[in-house]
Amino acid sequence: MKVRPIARAASDVGGTFTDLVLYRVGKAGGEVRCSKVDTTPPDFEVGVMSSLEKLDLAPSELDFFAHGCTVVINALTERKGAKTALITTRGFRDVLEIARGNRPDLFNFNFRKPKPFVDRYLRLEIPERTTYHGEIQEPVDLSSLPEQIDYLKSEGVEAIAVAFLHAYINPSNEQRAAEEIRRLWPEASVIASHEVSREWREYERTNTTVLAAYVHPIAEAYIERLQASLERGGFRRSPYMMQSNGGITTAEAAKHNPIAMVESGPASGIFAAAYLGKLIGEPNLIVLDIGGTTAKCALVENGRVRVTTEYHIEKTRKSPGYPIQTPVSEIVEIGTGGGSIAWVDAGRKLHVGPQSAGADPGPAAYGRGGTRVTTTDANLVLARIDPHSFVGGEVDPDWSSVNRAFASLEDVLSLSREEIARGVVQIANANMVNALRLVSTNKGHDPREFALIAFGGGGAMHALPLAEELKVRKVIVPVNSSVFSAWGMLLTDLRRDYVQTRPLYFNADNHPQVLETFAQLRKKAETDYVSDGVISTARELAFEQHGDMRYEGQEHTVKVPLKLSGQVVEQELEAATEDFHQAHEQRYTYRLDNPVQIVNFHLVATVEVDKPELAERKPSGRTLEEALLGAREVDFHPYGRHEARIYDGALLDSTMSVAGPAVIQEASVTLPVPPGRTVTLDRHGNYHIELKQPGKETGEQA
Amino acid sequence: MSSTSFDREVIKDCIVAVGDEMFEAVIRTSMSPIIYETTDFAVGATDARGNLLAQGNGVTAFLATLDTAVQDLLNHYPEPGDIAEGDAFITNSPYCGGGTHLSDVVIIVPVFHDGRLIAFTVNKAHWTEVGGAQPGSVSTESTEIYQEGLHFRFLKLYSGGELNKALVQIIRDNVRLPESTIGDMHSGVAAARVGAARIRELAAKYGVESVLEAMEDLLDYGERMTIEEIRKLPAGSFKATDIVEGDGLGNGPFEIQCTVTIGNDRITADFTGTSKQAQGPINCAYTGLITGARCLFKAVTNTEIPANGGCFRPLEVICPEGTVISATSPAPVSLYYESLIAAIDVMWKALAPAMSDRLSAGHQRTVGANFISGMHPDTGELFVMGQPLVGGWGASAGVDGDSGQFCCGNGETYNVPVELFETRYGLQVEQYAFHNEAGGEGQYRGGKGVVLDYRVVSPEVFLTYAASRTEARPWSIEEGLEGSTNYAKVLRKSGEEERYSMCTMVRAEQGDCIRLVSATGGGYGDPRQRRRADIEKDIKNGYLTRERAADVFGFSG
Repeated sequence: MKVRPIARAASDVGGTFTDLVLYRVGKAGGEVRCSKVDTTPPDFEVGVMSSLEKLDLAPSELDFFAHGCTVVINALTERKGAKTALITTRGFRDVLEIARGNRPDLFNFNFRKPKPFVDRYLRLEIPERTTYHGEIQEPVDLSSLPEQIDYLKSEGVEAIAVAFLHAYINPSNEQRAAEEIRRLWPEASVIASHEVSREWREYERTNTTVLAAYVHPIAEAYIERLQASLERGGFRRSPYMMQSNGGITTAEAAKHNPIAMVESGPASGIFAAAYLGKLIGEPNLIVLDIGGTTAKCALVENGRVRVTTEYHIEKTRKSPGYPIQTPVSEIVEIGTGGGSIAWVDAGRKLHVGPQSAGADPGPAAYGRGGTRVTTTDANLVLARIDPHSFVGGEVDPDWSSVNRAFASLEDVLSLSREEIARGVVQIANANMVNALRLVSTNKGHDPREFALIAFGGGGAMHALPLAEELKVRKVIVPVNSSVFSAWGMLLTDLRRDYVQTRPLYFNADNHPQVLETFAQLRKKAETDYVSDGVISTARELAFEQHGDMRYEGQEHTVKVPLKLSGQVVEQELEAATEDFHQAHEQRYTYRLDNPVQIVNFHLVATVEVDKPELAERKPSGRTLEEALLGAREVDFHPYGRHEARIYDGALLDSTMSVAGPAVIQEASVTLPVPPGRTVTLDRHGNYHIELKQPGKETGEQA
Repeated sequence: MSSTSFDREVIKDCIVAVGDEMFEAVIRTSMSPIIYETTDFAVGATDARGNLLAQGNGVTAFLATLDTAVQDLLNHYPEPGDIAEGDAFITNSPYCGGGTHLSDVVIIVPVFHDGRLIAFTVNKAHWTEVGGAQPGSVSTESTEIYQEGLHFRFLKLYSGGELNKALVQIIRDNVRLPESTIGDMHSGVAAARVGAARIRELAAKYGVESVLEAMEDLLDYGERMTIEEIRKLPAGSFKATDIVEGDGLGNGPFEIQCTVTIGNDRITADFTGTSKQAQGPINCAYTGLITGARCLFKAVTNTEIPANGGCFRPLEVICPEGTVISATSPAPVSLYYESLIAAIDVMWKALAPAMSDRLSAGHQRTVGANFISGMHPDTGELFVMGQPLVGGWGASAGVDGDSGQFCCGNGETYNVPVELFETRYGLQVEQYAFHNEAGGEGQYRGGKGVVLDYRVVSPEVFLTYAASRTEARPWSIEEGLEGSTNYAKVLRKSGEEERYSMCTMVRAEQGDCIRLVSATGGGYGDPRQRRRADIEKDIKNGYLTRERAADVFGFSG
């Protein structure tokens, strides 16, 4: 299926705003339009529809609609899912509550781990056993199920997770139990562990299955409501849903495995960054997405986004959170965004975040009842944000509310409003730098080989000082950066990840088994896509193979791309093993002589979707002066206060360059350009700022 | 670049972040699973006098072991010029600035700026092998430290950037796994250098004086925040006593006494009256006791801010030399952690009744370390499995205890998934579940201990197990009931069974079952005050039988 639509829209529901990007190809060429409205929990489709209305766009005009939503993550964090039960192997019902036994809050001797999503009385056991070789040691005994189902019905259960030991290697006992439960109780949501994960680690897989069952009814209902709303507006196709692995999938597949959507928002922005990077010759990127509530950091290396299944929700420095074994692009997320609240502790230390004012009440300047200083308020006070185009010019800042919010901090800290504002920006930046280091230098990467790409509502605002601190080569702020994640959904393909645990020594003897395992996964992918009606033949599928590999004796693995044809066994084994050694050395600084093992087989199966050509911004013949909006005094902290020229970003093109001190403004984007820095534009309208690190390198590279 | 009143805040945050960075660096570079998977290590930075600035911990039991190591280093090298740029030091002495056992090796790197010593970066990690009588340098039967491995006291591993090759060769020739041991050594140096580079960068960026002021400020901030918390605690004197049952050689019990005095801005923990040091390896050196006292002090003052030396200025620890928690050379210390944990627990027991919003009742109080070796049935190769066991934590005011957690001496410690465990070792797990032994009942009940059954599938295996709280039970608060006990059992095919609290290399055959049981935590308050709904929920959840509910809670229905 090569989709060739003429009007494509993508909608991204974030914690604060719902963004819409429309790409329309007409006779006059491509046209991009965006809108931003408030997110409307719990009826997210209401916000989606109003984002369309805001552009006077009827769903009937659309040929393609991709959608990323927070419905799954919201159901989880707000505990609004279905009443869920667990059926598991005899002897192991407490695995879900024992979890991994770790206590990240080390010195809290009144610690309580997060409560499991299923209480013990709803965790039932049945006799069955599969060994780690995948042999059925004890066939599943289904005789107790009718009574158990009656019990669960009487307890008001709505969803059932089935998770058996070693079902990742042989799910037949688990399949038989799930089939029987569905036969006995067709109305219940039933999810078996092998349907959501084929990886080992029973706690992680069981918890994933439980959470999948927990969100299943609510996610299914949401997708159906969205489909109905779009249909009422005349949309004739089915929407595609964004997944956490950076690809889209059909609405039907998403209903079947909703947990795969758990981190869909951040994923699309990261993949869009990778796509853009390839287009403009920047394959190595540190990605920073600053939203209203959080900042997300990720790494793109050689055009590749790292997708792993080691994802957690609610994991903090104090809580182990809950693992979800589903493919998610590797992200570090911190509680610093435009709405993050500044506060002072008992030791008179100023902090920013993680608490956020969100969209409601929002920053103090919104005048909607926000009483505390946020990052946005600080940027406004420093005149980095233009008061005349606050929130896209839709809101006049409520200065009396801003002054009241600052007054309380002025009293405690005995500092002026401006000094505090500078402090808030500085601390927010320091938080973000520490998070960016976690994904880059701390993982063995040399930042000088990377560009920082910044987007989201606050990306452009904060990018430069962060880039300097990180010592990257340059900063890129993509065109339409405030809706970049939504835009990214128009740039992604249909994608499914298949991860199978099957630990094997990586050697010639096992090579047939390695090839066979990948062949089975490819077969499964074909069957899934064909039965969904996405493709008619396997020829439309593209595959990528990876191995999660390790040295004998280790527990942690490194993901290595595997090109295996089975033609020249010795050669390709040697090449793949060397790739592993190199990847291990980069990540962990050393290599060993130990035998190498492959633990997980990871197949990525994609169906290409036609993507919009990135619109070119033709040289307009205008002069830079014509893009000048005016001038104002701006605090470029940490680069001082300067009279800055203000430019309308929409009127700039690749023939122009803007020298600081200046500010480039778009509808929801502010890019401060401090003195000594110059912004250039590429032919698509993306901003580039080269950073030649001044002076000699300080500090040694360890 | 303009400076602001918040530069200092940012420098402080960066110093604290240095701990995180070094933590990652150790995980990234070490070669022993016990370091990179069990996170049995700590990293940190101190100022030039050895005051702790920041620390990254995998386990609590290393809390006082980094700064005291630097302080003792300064005692060993008192003259100006003794410590020079490019030096790196190695020490694992339990008796001075160490406090744990020989397996935990400390690396210290001095940080210079323009020839001036401004800080130290330091880490301590559990090496898989430091030699000695037993593989893995773990013994439940040693009588002197000489049987426990190589002993280094503040040696220069690097001198002016030059590696001390003779020292490396001595290590290489005296350990069973030289590659991973030497690898871990280099990992420690690399991690410390990562932190040192970051501190030098800060000095270059903000100026050395600003950085030194920020260090002072950070310590003062820690002290100020801690004193704020001390003032919220009830003043007075609080006393408790408890025991460690055995020393591994059949001697015991050993009594630990503690009197905690809380003043307006000061807390004193006095362990005078504790039993003399033991013949077996249960001893803990004085620095280990400081760690233990700091852990509990931190737990009751403020767990919100990152620990630094300033936080501990208001703490004084008193204990005469030569006790089981202030042991002197050449006492064996291989199982030091059981006594260290017991010291934390006694101080905890003294204070909990007065601050049950901050502290729960007694927990399983043991690492529950179990080691099993044998031939893997698939490969015929030797496997050695070692892991700690989770147990029940105590109840506190208003909340039941947590079930299935590692003890207070652990932290970022993870159990081994059954599916990995069975693949790697010749044992099949038959249950990993909460048990229902009596104990821990109260208005709020203790968390549940677990029962873990290993079925032996290799021809034979050997069990080594060491625990405390095998007789004395987890204590309760007010009229709550005490918890249950820790033990191991071997259930023979013949139907016979044996029970152990400490054992070395007990043989079990194919078909036998090795059962490990951890204690349920202590209860809080009179069981008769427990809400009916909670009792019904416990019955429904299978935590309580109706008979026991009637006996203990007076429940009928």
